[in-house]
Amino acid sequence: MSSVQETIFAIISKEAGIDPAKISLDSTLKDLEIQSLDAVQIIFEIEDHYRVTLPDRDPNFDTESVSGLIVAVERLVAEKQNAAAAPTVQA
Amino acid sequence: MRRVAITGMGAICALGHDAPATWAAMREGRSAIGPIRNIPTDLLNIKIAAEVHGYDPLAHFNPKRLLLLDRVSQFALIAAREAVVQSGLDFRDDARGDRSACIIGTGIGGENTHDEQSRRFYEERNPRVHPLTIVRLMANAPACQISMEYALTGPTFAVVSACASANHAMAQAFDMVRSGKVDFAVTGGSEACITVPTVKAWEAVRVTADDTCRPFCRQRRGMVLGEGSGVFVLEEFEHARARGATILAEFAGAGMSADAGDIVLPSETGAARALAGALADARLEAGDVGYINAHGTGTPANDPTESRAIRRVFGAHADILCVSSTKSMHGHALGAAGAIELVAAIGALREGVIPPTANFIDADPQCDLDCVPNVAREKSVRAVLSNSFAFGGLNAVLALKRA
Repeated sequence: MSSVQETIFAIISKEAGIDPAKISLDSTLKDLEIQSLDAVQIIFEIEDHYRVTLPDRDPNFDTESVSGLIVAVERLVAEKQNAAAAPTVQA
Repeated sequence: MRRVAITGMGAICALGHDAPATWAAMREGRSAIGPIRNIPTDLLNIKIAAEVHGYDPLAHFNPKRLLLLDRVSQFALIAAREAVVQSGLDFRDDARGDRSACIIGTGIGGENTHDEQSRRFYEERNPRVHPLTIVRLMANAPACQISMEYALTGPTFAVVSACASANHAMAQAFDMVRSGKVDFAVTGGSEACITVPTVKAWEAVRVTADDTCRPFCRQRRGMVLGEGSGVFVLEEFEHARARGATILAEFAGAGMSADAGDIVLPSETGAARALAGALADARLEAGDVGYINAHGTGTPANDPTESRAIRRVFGAHADILCVSSTKSMHGHALGAAGAIELVAAIGALREGVIPPTANFIDADPQCDLDCVPNVAREKSVRAVLSNSFAFGGLNAVLALKRA
């Protein structure tokens, strides 16, 4: 299990009070019967942990499924690292 | 005309975590004003307050519920629970919830939440605000949380009028029960805003004392901040009597007025109109009242103004009245003040004991009423008033009669 996956499973488990064994990559937040306020808190905890902003209602990001969340986080973290590593342009 | 009974009482404040502990401390003249311990004091000039101490939220709420509850809502729920248990009412029974109002006053709402999220935002430059921030800090949160806990599905909202919020809230609930709009009400006030910036803001108004709260006394140096909640169950009187409920007191009337004067300085005439209005609404003569729980903040401005307003309305009877300020003991709990002070009013009616004005040294000729200095007084009273006179000149006076 990748560490992003581990972290996200842990966050979902803690915020929604769900046994981690019940969470799978294919689960959607709806499947897990997560209330909308809990879902919002899960997004917040993920954002806070990785210091990224998960986009709202962006068709390129699937934040409704567990695998979608993992993909989104990995992508945003990579983008952040690339931006940090990019050479600054001297005018 | 319908009458209104008080059949449940709950409180949490610096004097204690329930109404009996609060009243017992009031009777003893015990002041809970002391050094601030709940927040850092290194930046504060005023280092005293009447804080709630020894309070563990997890003793009252599970961690998941607590995420939704600012301290102000926690206090309101604790007081509401005590009141509802005492009333013996099940609001889910018989669709009572539909016939119940839930009106809870607060001056500022979820200030601790506001403060913490602001700190994160500005100090840590963390652009992510916790998703529950809005539902925690909104001023209606205490009313919502109580309504949700007891399935109170009638008129439910918050009332805000600074230091008179609780009295105004209870006056609204009383009117609704009396008029028949509802048959029950859960009502009171809650405040929990002792944060570092809030204390600094109060210091800046230059009305807070640095030693203690000494209402009506020549050595008074101002008010002292408090916190907590008081919540009451109101019920149509005959219904309460018929089911054999313990009627703590009759909620007899309310007088409300505005000074339309200064944004901070009180007006004698504005206060007098609220006092007279309460008497008239309760069909009381001045001579019927034995005790007034004063607004009595201990500021240079309030105490003489309030004394003159009382004299104006009560005339010669003012010489026989007892007028004490329990803010000397539980501090000024702002939006919760009137509710915590109703505990004193009810105690006086039920037990014939007038709680004192604590910390009193020498009399001030400008406050020439009997303020029951330092030691409680045995006196049987049939009717009491409870005053709240807020910033912006908002006045609310409640009248209670012995049941």
